[in-house]
Amino acid sequence: MIFSLLDELLIFSAATVLVALILGRGLAVGWMVTILYGGQLLVLIKMAALGYGGDPIASELSLSVMGQDLSWRFDALSWFFALITLVAALLTSWFSCGEWERKFKQQGGNVWLFHLAMALNVFTMLILLASGDLLSLFIGWELVSWAGFLLMAVAGGVATKAAMRYITYAVVGGMTIFGGIALVYAAAGSLQYEAILIAVEKMSTGQLWMLVLLFGSGFGIKMGLLPFHLWQAAAYAETPGPGSAFLGAISSRMGLFAILLVLVKLFGIVNIDSLKIPFTLIDARDLLAWIAVFTIIFPTYTALKQNDARYLLAWHGIGQGGYMLLGLVTANSLGAAGGLLHVLNYAACQAALLMAVFAVMHRTGTADLNKLGGLVARMPLSFLVLLTGIIGLAGLPPMNGFVSKWLVYRSLLEDGMPLLFLGTIIGTLGTILSVYKLIHNMFLGQLRVEHEHIREAPWSMMIPMLILAGTIFTTGLLPGIPLTWVTAALQTIGLTGPEITLGGIESSSGSLDMIWVIGVLFAGFGIGAVIFYSAGPSKRVHQLDNYAGGHFLSADVRYQYSDNFYSGLMHLIRGWYRGSFQWLENSITSLVEFLSLGMQGIYRRANSEFYLLSTALFIIAWVVF
Amino acid sequence: MSTLQKIPVIEEKKGNPLARVFDDLVRFCRSRSLFILHYCTGCGAIELPPAMTSRFDMERLGIQPMVSPRQADILLITGYVSIKTLKRVILTYEQMGSPKYVVGICSCTVNGGMYWQSYATAKKLDEYMPVDLYIAGCMPRPEAVISGLQKLMDRINSGEADSWQDYYRNYDYYLGNQQKLFGEDWQTPTDIITEAKHYELMGEGTLGDHTRLLEQHQKPLEALDMRLGHNIKESVE
Repeated sequence: MIFSLLDELLIFSAATVLVALILGRGLAVGWMVTILYGGQLLVLIKMAALGYGGDPIASELSLSVMGQDLSWRFDALSWFFALITLVAALLTSWFSCGEWERKFKQQGGNVWLFHLAMALNVFTMLILLASGDLLSLFIGWELVSWAGFLLMAVAGGVATKAAMRYITYAVVGGMTIFGGIALVYAAAGSLQYEAILIAVEKMSTGQLWMLVLLFGSGFGIKMGLLPFHLWQAAAYAETPGPGSAFLGAISSRMGLFAILLVLVKLFGIVNIDSLKIPFTLIDARDLLAWIAVFTIIFPTYTALKQNDARYLLAWHGIGQGGYMLLGLVTANSLGAAGGLLHVLNYAACQAALLMAVFAVMHRTGTADLNKLGGLVARMPLSFLVLLTGIIGLAGLPPMNGFVSKWLVYRSLLEDGMPLLFLGTIIGTLGTILSVYKLIHNMFLGQLRVEHEHIREAPWSMMIPMLILAGTIFTTGLLPGIPLTWVTAALQTIGLTGPEITLGGIESSSGSLDMIWVIGVLFAGFGIGAVIFYSAGPSKRVHQLDNYAGGHFLSADVRYQYSDNFYSGLMHLIRGWYRGSFQWLENSITSLVEFLSLGMQGIYRRANSEFYLLSTALFIIAWVVF
Repeated sequence: MSTLQKIPVIEEKKGNPLARVFDDLVRFCRSRSLFILHYCTGCGAIELPPAMTSRFDMERLGIQPMVSPRQADILLITGYVSIKTLKRVILTYEQMGSPKYVVGICSCTVNGGMYWQSYATAKKLDEYMPVDLYIAGCMPRPEAVISGLQKLMDRINSGEADSWQDYYRNYDYYLGNQQKLFGEDWQTPTDIITEAKHYELMGEGTLGDHTRLLEQHQKPLEALDMRLGHNIKESVE
């Protein structure tokens, strides 16, 4: 039997899981697993033709279950997502080797379980990405859900609670997706994509609505779309460092992958566009777009309130998912490219940011934004990585986030959707404010006495962080490279991408050339630098030789304002934080509890033999008639 | 020490004429872009809002308020300087980047003004730091403030306003007066003597008895260093 490249990749990935499982107790497992991720990445690079519009690669393995053919294959979309997954896995795993592992072990963490969970996550994600029909998609989906649960629960304690909350959501999501698949099967008689495409054309509006709601909410749970987003922040933030960076970078985007596959490819944006909501002016596509915008706004402003760097970034992860979905729902060439490109850009930024935060945590033991400050003097490289990351996350040049967000804004303006555009702008404002809070409270301001002697993060952490920072800048300078893969991926789901140049896009209504943008920006920096350096040598002064209203500063005086940051703004918007979604979740929980109590009451009080007898009779009658 | 000392005239080095053109240009630009850091007591502060805002509008002359000493050019003292405050004023003055100019507004800065009997005020500002310009009056009107600032601009443009150098050249004198008021263990975070060497402004009066006294008491602040890398074998606390 000849293996295809995809088989090689999956076997490699499975081998990684086995290595983590068997040799995980031994030394240097982190390095081994990291090298194996690198191997997987090499196999994936061998498939690079996919990213330039090559033919899909099928797996030699195919199963037949109950008359359903299961198949696995890789196309450009899968390849694009798999690339992000493997690079994220490689770098986060690299980050965990050596020092981090040792400290994790000291604090009573289970290194073996951690690496196993990471390897399982990567393996299951690849299986999901390779799915060739709805049934294998569902299998992959469930595997990914449970693997994610394992990684979230590794740390124990608070993390277990968050993971339990996640798995409750995930099971409900899995059930809705299963219901959707059952409906599709009833309509199409098969779970192959080709059969479904034909069946969708004949579906009534009611059926389509049902499917859009079922699949949309099921996949949206993983993605953290409103109102199913409450589980995500705590679950991702409480995961051990590198795992958190990995999950934050790519895990939720599996939901986006599935949404693209099912809602965009199978049902088609045009069909979704025709689903009107009665008595209103909006249709299902507008509904999705507005959900995406609210997914941008609310979690971003929740992030603004956080005092823990990990939570702040995890809440942003939910918000940035909204940008991706919004771009893809607009479905014109610019927006779709922007949304899909943002998956890659955001993954790079989020991984870099979380790694920098965990590097600081590794050295100081805390991620509490009110207990840090002034670390730029001690950890300058971490500061640089975090700075790169926040510029990318906020979507400002010269980093990559600017390109994807620019494309999304542009498409909204061209489609004449000013209100959605306004929503994204409000979201971006919140992003900029909160990432400034992050970098200010961690790295700027006054160095605390207790951090006087900390050192820069170890090189085992620093190198992957710097690689990511370089990636963020390079893909911002030459967005043409990832945009080529994005357009190939868009073609597989029936959308067209924009015209690509190396520095951005070519469009009749206004092109974007990042090489020029960054050139102009750096020319400005250059002029500033010339003025600065021509004025003679600068003098470094002590931190306490500082102006604070004329006070004589000493190490025990806090002059840095970090607690209750943005109190003026918070005073203005405090009334908006009502915890409505929390209330909704609690009310649903209470309702389920109440119903189950009622059922218990009936069941326990009455005669259980009578129930058994009547059930048996009913089954016999059903079989007979 | 209450008499004003004569500021020594320093012979200019002869350079090429183009260098002087460049210096003239720099001075011209400098005089048209001034940032004020204002230490304002209650009475003097009243005159500044009308001078800054739309009625008299200092900004048409290129003068703006600034909140931190590191970016400011002018230290504006409007009113009496109590001994407690004088410590802060000196700290702030020393933190300003050169070239810096001090403008004393109101009679209090000239000779103590209506507080001349008070035990708690410093009578003459120029005993503690070099003052470029006094604007007398109690209170001077905003027109007077603005014309005073215009005078300062002219002096900067012509290169006469260089009294900031005097603080370095005669540091010992100023420090002596400060020690008389604040006690022998008086010190600020800024190391003036090192700065004087940095600017090549060491004069005959820079070092003396008072600076020796300072060096005995001084607790030095070391500059923050950037640290990269580490020894992996070291245990992690």
